Amino acid sequence: MPRYGFVIDLKRCYGCYSCQVACKAANFTPQGIDWARCVPAETGSFPVALRQMLPLVCQQCKEPACKEVCPTGATTQDENGIVLVDKDLCMGCKACLMACPYGARQTVGEWQTYYPHADGGLDPYESYAKKQWEKKNGYGMATKCDYCKDRVADGRKPACVESCPAKARTFGDLEDPESDVSMLIRRESGFQLNPEFGTDPACFYLPPR
Amino acid sequence: MDLKAQNKWGWMIAVYLFLAGLGAGAYFTGVVASFMEGEGWSAAAKIGLVLGWPCVFVGAMFLIADLGTPKNFWRAFMKPGTSWVARGTIVISIFMALNALHFLVWIIGGWDATEGARQVIGVLGAVFAFGTMVYTGLLLGANRPIAFWSTALVPVLFLVSALSTGMMAVMLVAIIGGESHEGAIASLARLDIMLIVLEIVIVAAYLQGAHRVPESRASAKLVLNGAVAPLFWFGVALVGLAVPLVFELLGVYGLDGSGASAATVVAAIGGLIGGLILRRVVLAGGIQAPLRAGRFEFALPEMRG
Repeated sequence: MPRYGFVIDLKRCYGCYSCQVACKAANFTPQGIDWARCVPAETGSFPVALRQMLPLVCQQCKEPACKEVCPTGATTQDENGIVLVDKDLCMGCKACLMACPYGARQTVGEWQTYYPHADGGLDPYESYAKKQWEKKNGYGMATKCDYCKDRVADGRKPACVESCPAKARTFGDLEDPESDVSMLIRRESGFQLNPEFGTDPACFYLPPR
Repeated sequence: MDLKAQNKWGWMIAVYLFLAGLGAGAYFTGVVASFMEGEGWSAAAKIGLVLGWPCVFVGAMFLIADLGTPKNFWRAFMKPGTSWVARGTIVISIFMALNALHFLVWIIGGWDATEGARQVIGVLGAVFAFGTMVYTGLLLGANRPIAFWSTALVPVLFLVSALSTGMMAVMLVAIIGGESHEGAIASLARLDIMLIVLEIVIVAAYLQGAHRVPESRASAKLVLNGAVAPLFWFGVALVGLAVPLVFELLGVYGLDGSGASAATVVAAIGGLIGGLILRRVVLAGGIQAPLRAGRFEFALPEMRG
């Protein structure tokens, strides 16, 4: 069985937020909920200062901190290493939000319109998105990135990987030593974020400049 | 780098942690009191039994109300092996059941006739009351990315605070119910003075120990000098620790009769308010570790949704 993983090349990312938007379009996440995100940071001080973006997705850890604190058994791992939340089992205690070191989990209150001042409620596009969201997800429980599981099952790549104009993101099988992700990790010294939490993420990063 | 505190566990969870500790602490006090001989001890024991599980129950209602999908709350009982939340749910439920049984035995069999049975149930119940008090801290300690919570001092702090607030609740109800500030109440006040001094030492050590990693330093700064500082200095340090300490000392060593009773009432009310605010301050100070890549440190975005 493959273990799906990401390699994100920090040298290539220039922070255009395409991944964040593409994820929203593909997964119909409600307002304020982003399964793929870009986080900026700066280092140094004028005149020698640097800015770097960190694109985040769920790290699909082998030892997920979120699963360790989940009291209802709603959090599971599938055969590809993807960490999933069963929306019918989750009670929305938010323990996983506190335990995840990568901020990968968010809870959804209710569907909020983007156009609160418009007449006539949700526009057709919003109602469509709301319907799609409710089909697979819902409100109150924790939600998270699943590496676009359904798209991958159809032979496509996750939406954020397809959309990245800098080609900073690579998706593949970590178990296969010949896969693009495995080669990149070996050749360009890929690393995992904050290994001190013992989570063993499936998302690897290539060092920034 | 601007590290942001968690905002998903707020006042509702603070009330839950406070009432769970308070109820368990009051029951624990009641069980200890039921082994004592002398004036006022049986009243203190009865008050502890009556305050115990109802407080924990009301606290649990706050927890359930804070859930995203409250209709699923019963699922927390189904997988005790999974997590601290699941194990704690079971410990708290057993505590409430034992406390209720204790109460029933007393009501049905009478106080004096059931002393042996009450003491057996009481010792068992006290074990689970202890578990409940410690669990409220373990729940926070299970979150490794939040260094301010992930320390052995949080369960100890919550345990001492739970015992102290439980004791103060028993004293408050006893005095309002007409007990004099002698015998049991004075002994409890002396014990509580020691607990408050211990709590002050633990709070100081806890905040001092926060100066280890950037995220817990940010937490300490937030609590001592930032947005949470008014709550901490006014609510915890002054109302929750200094006022009870001074007024209980006055009640035990300075005043007699109704003056001592009044001082103890002031101390207890301050201590109870401070206990609630302490939970809130610890929750509001929870800050997750930054993510590191090369020489960059990335603060996680504020929790939304």
